[in-house]
Amino acid sequence: MAPPLTGVRVLEIGGGIPAAFATRWLAGFGAEVARSEGPADALTQEEEWYLLARKHRIEVDDATLRQLALAADIVVEDQKPGTLRACGLDPEELRREKPALVIVSITPFGQESPYADWEATNLVAFAMGGIMSLTGDPHRPPLLTGGKQALYLGGLHGFGAALAAYFGALQWGEGDWVDLSLQEIQAGMLELYGPRSEYEGTGPSPRSGNHVRAVWGLYPCADGFAGVCALERQIPALFALIGDPALREERFATLESRAEHDDELQAILYNWFAERTKAEIVALGTKHRVPLGAVLTPLELLENATLRERAFFEEVRTPEGRAEMPGRPFLGLEWTPPFLESPGESTERVLAAWLGGAE
Amino acid sequence: MRRLPLEGIRIADLTMVWAGPFATKILAEMGAEVIKVESPYAWDLVRTLIPQPGEPEPWNSSYYFNDYNRDKKSVTLHLQHPRGRELFLRLVERSDVVIENYRADVLDRLGLGYEVLRERKRDIILVSMAGFGKTGPERDQVGYGPIIEQMAGLASLTGYGDDGTPYKTGISYGDPVAGAAAAGAVILALIHRRRTGEGCFIDLAQREVLATMIGESFVLASRFGRVPSHRGNRDDRFVTQGVYPARGEDRWVAISVRSDSEWKRLAELIGRPDLAPLTAAERRARHDQLDEAIAAWTRERSADDAAEALQQRGIPAGPVRDTADIHDDPNLNARGFWVKLPHPRMRPWRQPNTAWRLREARPHPRRHAPLFGEHNREVLCGLLGLSEAELEELRREGVIGDAPVDPRFG
Repeated sequence: MAPPLTGVRVLEIGGGIPAAFATRWLAGFGAEVARSEGPADALTQEEEWYLLARKHRIEVDDATLRQLALAADIVVEDQKPGTLRACGLDPEELRREKPALVIVSITPFGQESPYADWEATNLVAFAMGGIMSLTGDPHRPPLLTGGKQALYLGGLHGFGAALAAYFGALQWGEGDWVDLSLQEIQAGMLELYGPRSEYEGTGPSPRSGNHVRAVWGLYPCADGFAGVCALERQIPALFALIGDPALREERFATLESRAEHDDELQAILYNWFAERTKAEIVALGTKHRVPLGAVLTPLELLENATLRERAFFEEVRTPEGRAEMPGRPFLGLEWTPPFLESPGESTERVLAAWLGGAE
Repeated sequence: MRRLPLEGIRIADLTMVWAGPFATKILAEMGAEVIKVESPYAWDLVRTLIPQPGEPEPWNSSYYFNDYNRDKKSVTLHLQHPRGRELFLRLVERSDVVIENYRADVLDRLGLGYEVLRERKRDIILVSMAGFGKTGPERDQVGYGPIIEQMAGLASLTGYGDDGTPYKTGISYGDPVAGAAAAGAVILALIHRRRTGEGCFIDLAQREVLATMIGESFVLASRFGRVPSHRGNRDDRFVTQGVYPARGEDRWVAISVRSDSEWKRLAELIGRPDLAPLTAAERRARHDQLDEAIAAWTRERSADDAAEALQQRGIPAGPVRDTADIHDDPNLNARGFWVKLPHPRMRPWRQPNTAWRLREARPHPRRHAPLFGEHNREVLCGLLGLSEAELEELRREGVIGDAPVDPRFG
């Protein structure tokens, strides 16, 4: 079985995390991705190893970049609005010249908007999308979720939106220009809290710290931290597992009555978690069909038996060393082996293949 | 008139709660016909997750359910009943994609595994999105979003840095991440089918998808045996960076300084030119103290005014939007992000538009989430060719239903 995107040509421009993560998956599933470098410090070395695997790195002038864009099936870029046009690659013009072309632009606030010219980092983009207001301790400032989630979300949605527009081009002959905004992506994933504030008019939802309620949160355990997330249907199994006779009493019987005794319930759970290790807690969750988890680190996950059995990680080797990193995002379609190039390494090869020696 | 990319694609949707419905919401926005299949005995629990005292049909009036199930059709089928199962298989014969996010063992127990589906539709695409995948020792674990966040490594990276405590994200973050990936997986499988004529079985583990969102931390771990320390709201490269108190209760403004020249402009703006010459290394060493100086300035201003002033000087800054004021964000409003749709049981409210803005095809939400079983007649009679009498018989036998049986909260 050939990788599903074999022969599909993708041009990545700008090359921050949003564009680079979107095209990482496209490349993994077989697309030929040419990456035109962005600013030298756009990515850390760890990010380069992870995000640039399988990419053909090129260095060309703007006029050549324009030719490559017209030779591509999909262009993915994450520069500030207006930058492409200023370089002679006006997306609307490219679309007119090549009706099947898909262009995906990923920006913090969208192409045309009051904040289109605003500067943003991962922190600023995360702050303005709403999720941050819910994250962290209610008595402390809002907290940034780990890694660079606002930027990665742009890449995640960039992958899907690029494929949607590309499938549209296959079906109907017309590509599109996709205008993704990091702020919109996040504002549309505020779970029940966004619509609740709006529909019930109850004001902003508070930060819940590590406990939405006692049966939904994180606790210290014997060797780290672990957690529970039980809905009503799992409460009986959870209480049976904990085994404290107090849990059979009336005040813990319903969602409403438990809410009034949440501190007491948390105290019982603190004790239960404190006496067990992460591995014990995860095993008990599986055995008793109770949603329990453990806070695992990347180091622990590299040794995780499930991820090993499913061959989740892939390895890259460079003269500087080797690294293991997440590979295919899902199983079922062919994923290609990784390689890493140096900047500009494929310029001549890509020009010859895409432009037929026109350069 | 431009057509939407997925017009002509039919999806039999068994997903529930948030991750799966988030995926099929996107696919519906992209033009697919999504037929949501619930059982009168096992409905999407999000319909009844939020107590609605006094509401006669709470399963038809949940804002939470609505926002992630718009543009879909609703069919009720008791899949453990032989006739319910058979009707589902007849629907599969007329569908392009089946998608489910049950616990890993459930679809096979229902007798609806990939091989069974393939016998009825040779090129069917099945997307399963169990929390930990279909194989491996953790496969039977219940994988709600907060558990996924712990087990994927993400929660271990989040923390203020001074108390050693990891933090959960304030939403069930693993769900919409897995959902967006699953939507992409469906379209990728459709591309593959178009090129080869073959269907496929996608085994998507929600935990694995979330781990791909922190890929660089695995590079660090495998090369150097290290994990990143908790940084609070700070950054290795952008000094100073943080979230600072603004005027008002629980109001905050995020600020990132990326360079010496941005720092110089910030120092002048906040009336502390004495701090302007500090290098990044010096700022790093004195971060706490500089945070105080910045906070002294931000406290006197609204978050929006502070951000505006910083942005005018080219410094990344923005107000921390909460779940209420985000509906009044000028940028989202100017882009028409919040939309209102009529709903037969609810008053209008502002809901998120599609994030996948195809500027020419212009996808947008068209219809409220379906009432429970709203499209039973349309799908079972119109698409599968049942008679009215057969429909009535199915209703009598409890194979289909117009309301959940014995509804409770979640």
